Amino acid sequence: MVKEIERAGLPVVHICTVTPISMTVGANRIVPAIAIPHPLGNPALNHEEEKKLRRKLVEKALRALTTEVEDQTIFED
Amino acid sequence: MKLEMGYIHISDIEFSSESKIENGKLYVSTDALKALVLEDEKLKDVSFDIARPGESVRITPVKDVIEPRVKVEGKGGVFPGIISKVDTVGSGKTYALKGMAVVTAGKIVGFQEGVIDMTGPGADYTPFSKLINLVMVCEPVDEIEPHEYEKAVRIAGFKAAAYIGELAKSLTPDETKVYETETIKEGMAKYPDLPRVAYVHMLQSQGLLHDTYVYGVDAKQILPTMLNPTECMDGAIVSGNCVSACDKNPTYVHQNNPVVHDLLEEHGKTINFVCHIVTNENVYLADKQRSSDWTAKLCKMLDLDGVIVSQEGFGNPDTDLIMNCKKIEAEGIKTVIITDEYAGRDGKSQSLADADAAADAVVTAGNANQVVVLPKLDKVIGTLDYITKIAGASENTLREDGSLEVEIQVITGATNEVGFTTLSAR
Repeated sequence: MVKEIERAGLPVVHICTVTPISMTVGANRIVPAIAIPHPLGNPALNHEEEKKLRRKLVEKALRALTTEVEDQTIFED
Repeated sequence: MKLEMGYIHISDIEFSSESKIENGKLYVSTDALKALVLEDEKLKDVSFDIARPGESVRITPVKDVIEPRVKVEGKGGVFPGIISKVDTVGSGKTYALKGMAVVTAGKIVGFQEGVIDMTGPGADYTPFSKLINLVMVCEPVDEIEPHEYEKAVRIAGFKAAAYIGELAKSLTPDETKVYETETIKEGMAKYPDLPRVAYVHMLQSQGLLHDTYVYGVDAKQILPTMLNPTECMDGAIVSGNCVSACDKNPTYVHQNNPVVHDLLEEHGKTINFVCHIVTNENVYLADKQRSSDWTAKLCKMLDLDGVIVSQEGFGNPDTDLIMNCKKIEAEGIKTVIITDEYAGRDGKSQSLADADAAADAVVTAGNANQVVVLPKLDKVIGTLDYITKIAGASENTLREDGSLEVEIQVITGATNEVGFTTLSAR
């Protein structure tokens, strides 16, 4: 899906836990997620902390979306 | 470490007032077994049944398959850290009851348990159709969490298998086999010219009822470590798994791991089998990276020439598999990986979720998406209530004539990734 949307001319950020698979399949902007059963959250945190974590992830993804890349890039921080 | 395995062949099972083994026949007191199983307050009831090869019987949903064994000499007892005290097993003498198994069944998570057909095309796909199966269907108390029920059924199976194994303790085995490997230094001196080979055994540890235990430790929490090859024969590794039936390793497979047995067979002849390394398949990327770093580090420290890596399950563990392969190869050690495929019903899709050029020697156990039709059988042990929900089935699975159209994914052991399977290619 990442590749097909990019082929249509729209930049895509792939948020995923197993970044090596994302690299193998050819995503260009990759943001590491939390864990496979809960990629965008963490049940170990309380609601407030989890909300912060989620916002941080979304903001990071938006930053990645607006960053020029030369090659496949994993946005660690 | 040296282990003498005594094999006692079981020709039939019969329910009886007294539990015993006589002339190769197992007599089981269901009252005694029931009392043992219901010691666990999480279980309300248990029923027993016998399924023999060739009978028109379907067992589902299957959770685990276990071979009854008993420790006759040497340290520890079977299933150490689980039902026996923690002690290093794998030496002395152990008896195994061949030709039979204890099968645990019941609903648990429903969609991730398997099917064992004792006859017909389904039977060809599962190695467990060739055994006389003592099936236990455990019913939990009301309002129990699935993970508590899983644990209760898991332990009940081991207790039943140990109880039956114990009946063989004073018997004379029909067949005896001695397995022995040396310490690192002894092995080097004894076989200076043989290639040094180890087995990297990946254990399902994704959590959420996808777990394996090593000496009672949840494999999610282990760092890769080394075992003597004979330790698994005493139940050092057990299944706590409710994942796709075709490529999970039931406890029976850990006890009889064909990679371990084949490497032992070649030990001292064509290879020096240095050790059995266990590692995990966790759901955090950092864990995947740490564990694969460690397997590669251990392989390097052991000065290995070659490694066989086996996977359990599919999907994200494909990444653990490829990471292990890549990092071990990068240390200059040759690898062969054993996996299976999810290549779609037509076999045309990408087989694994991850890949790398270093994975240039791959053994496949088959395509789990392959479709088969299983005819209606006369008797069901367990329940067909979940048959359309098991991974590999669909809402169209149950056909009008009572037959089942399913992917072989639903069949326990069909594409087992340690090669404990009956599938082969020409």
